Amino acid sequence: MSATGGSMGSATADREIVISRVIDAPRELVFEAFTEVRHLSRWWGPEGFTTTTRAFEFRVGGEWEFAMHGPDGTDYEEWISWTELVPPERIALVHGEHRGDPNAFESVLTFTPDGEATRIEMRTVFPTKEMRDEVVEKYHVIEGGRQTLGKLDAYVTEIARKGGGA
Amino acid sequence: MAAMARAATTSDVFNAIAEPRRREILVLLRAGERPVGELAQELGMTQPGASKHLRVLREVGLVRDRKAGRQRLYDLDARGLRPVYEWTGGFERFWNESFERLDAYVQDLKQAKEEEG
Repeated sequence: MSATGGSMGSATADREIVISRVIDAPRELVFEAFTEVRHLSRWWGPEGFTTTTRAFEFRVGGEWEFAMHGPDGTDYEEWISWTELVPPERIALVHGEHRGDPNAFESVLTFTPDGEATRIEMRTVFPTKEMRDEVVEKYHVIEGGRQTLGKLDAYVTEIARKGGGA
Repeated sequence: MAAMARAATTSDVFNAIAEPRRREILVLLRAGERPVGELAQELGMTQPGASKHLRVLREVGLVRDRKAGRQRLYDLDARGLRPVYEWTGGFERFWNESFERLDAYVQDLKQAKEEEG
């Protein structure tokens, strides 16, 4: 699991976000978890988040319209449309709050075999650095519904208490 | 120019932890409060050098100090890392946690398939 602001020296480094993770499962299986609502609803969003799907059609040009419910009761409208599907290697999608959202942005997911495991990478390139910052801020607010300051304090205190050797 | 750089460093937690020696100090303080002499020795620095770093860390709220007899003890105040935590807490955090759940879910799927034969 890692997140970086992008590769060094890349022209898009200041307006892209790359998140990756190695999952100990065959590529087909990891890919499958992105293809159906019954799968997506089990893992989309951090712990405590749930989704309600209104429409879902997994094909190029198809749409996923859903609401994301935060643990603090806040709902977020979400809209996704797939622009490229290459099972089990690649998914490109546009992600916004609704169809025609001028602030929708594109993410490309790649699934690469890594021995018996699968490396999944999500690369999101925003049209501008400002938009990248805006989206980070939006998700920051979404996360904020969950991460109350109290919980944060508990978290950092725990870090602080863990031995210096860690 | 130097004065400007210092002003930024002392007011901004990101600048404060950009300096590797200061991160080393924070790591040492995770184990509990320490006097500056011990920190300096452990890091192979002079005591004034360690003091300078500690002052920067204190000014951004990452380190507290208190007098204990003849010495001054420095302690980590990890709440000062909040801006860093929050900055990384947006999109990346959302997706890292989603992928964590995806991982757990895929393990369940894998196990279910194995049991099916």
